[in-house]
Amino acid sequence: MRVLTYGDIMDGGTSVFTTVAKLDAPKLIVSFSGAIRVDNPYRFLSAYVSELEERLPSAQVNAIELDFTELNFCNSNGFYVIMDIVEIIYNVFSANVTVKRLREDDWQQETLPILLNVDEPDIGTRTTFEDFSEI
Amino acid sequence: MLSEADLQTTRIAMHYSISPQKNIIGDIGGLIAGFCEELVGSFYPRVVSKRANTVITELFNNAVENSIDPSSTITLEVQINGALLRIKMTNAARQEQFEKIKSHVDRINSTDIRRLMAETIHERRKLQLKGGLGLIRLALENKSRISVDYKEPLLIVESEIQLGGHL
Repeated sequence: MRVLTYGDIMDGGTSVFTTVAKLDAPKLIVSFSGAIRVDNPYRFLSAYVSELEERLPSAQVNAIELDFTELNFCNSNGFYVIMDIVEIIYNVFSANVTVKRLREDDWQQETLPILLNVDEPDIGTRTTFEDFSEI
Repeated sequence: MLSEADLQTTRIAMHYSISPQKNIIGDIGGLIAGFCEELVGSFYPRVVSKRANTVITELFNNAVENSIDPSSTITLEVQINGALLRIKMTNAARQEQFEKIKSHVDRINSTDIRRLMAETIHERRKLQLKGGLGLIRLALENKSRISVDYKEPLLIVESEIQLGGHL
């Protein structure tokens, strides 16, 4: 497993949110953990988004996993960063995408599909949700 | 021994008043929301306590951002009683702010909320605007019934979540 790039949000001197893009060839795994509460998450994550744009096209990928099960909270400003990240992934690859999410988390059940844009046929047909209970 | 059903009849009421509003720096909303989630979660299922967290976070941050008087008081009331989770937020505001929020809330309560969320997210993203989704999120994600009132100079935003389906 190779880490392609990662990004995090620091608040009060500690990391409160981390996202990591890993290649477990030929599967791409992008995980999100912690909480996005800051007012301007782009301040911390714009470099990560740029690196994804640069590095993903050269990766050989035939399966994708987006893992939100460790993401405890996401404010509205965080939505736009997540949209940027998943849009890059869907645009670069045509592989099927498995989205791991929390069964008891309202935003992951209701809004995450909107952020992924699953109403678009090309995205909806290659996206599968797997629901997990929070431990 | 107490059963889950016994625990889920627990009545809790919390009241926070902070003044002056200008002294609220850092993530005080998150701090209160996190505590309330832990407290409510001691008696109620996680889905309920997480809703308390989300609603408090959104309403508190809105109140702090939109308060017009730095010397005023921000007030948060949280009540849960086995059937209903009620969260009420009060802050100083102008009549025009109330009218704008009232119009927004009326739209939320009378439209296809999922479609409204999708349209709003895509529109705001295109225009590179921040946030702006808070009350829509509460209605869509948390199944919250939002109401708004104005008693000059106080704006009162209230969220009610029926617990029936979760207990």
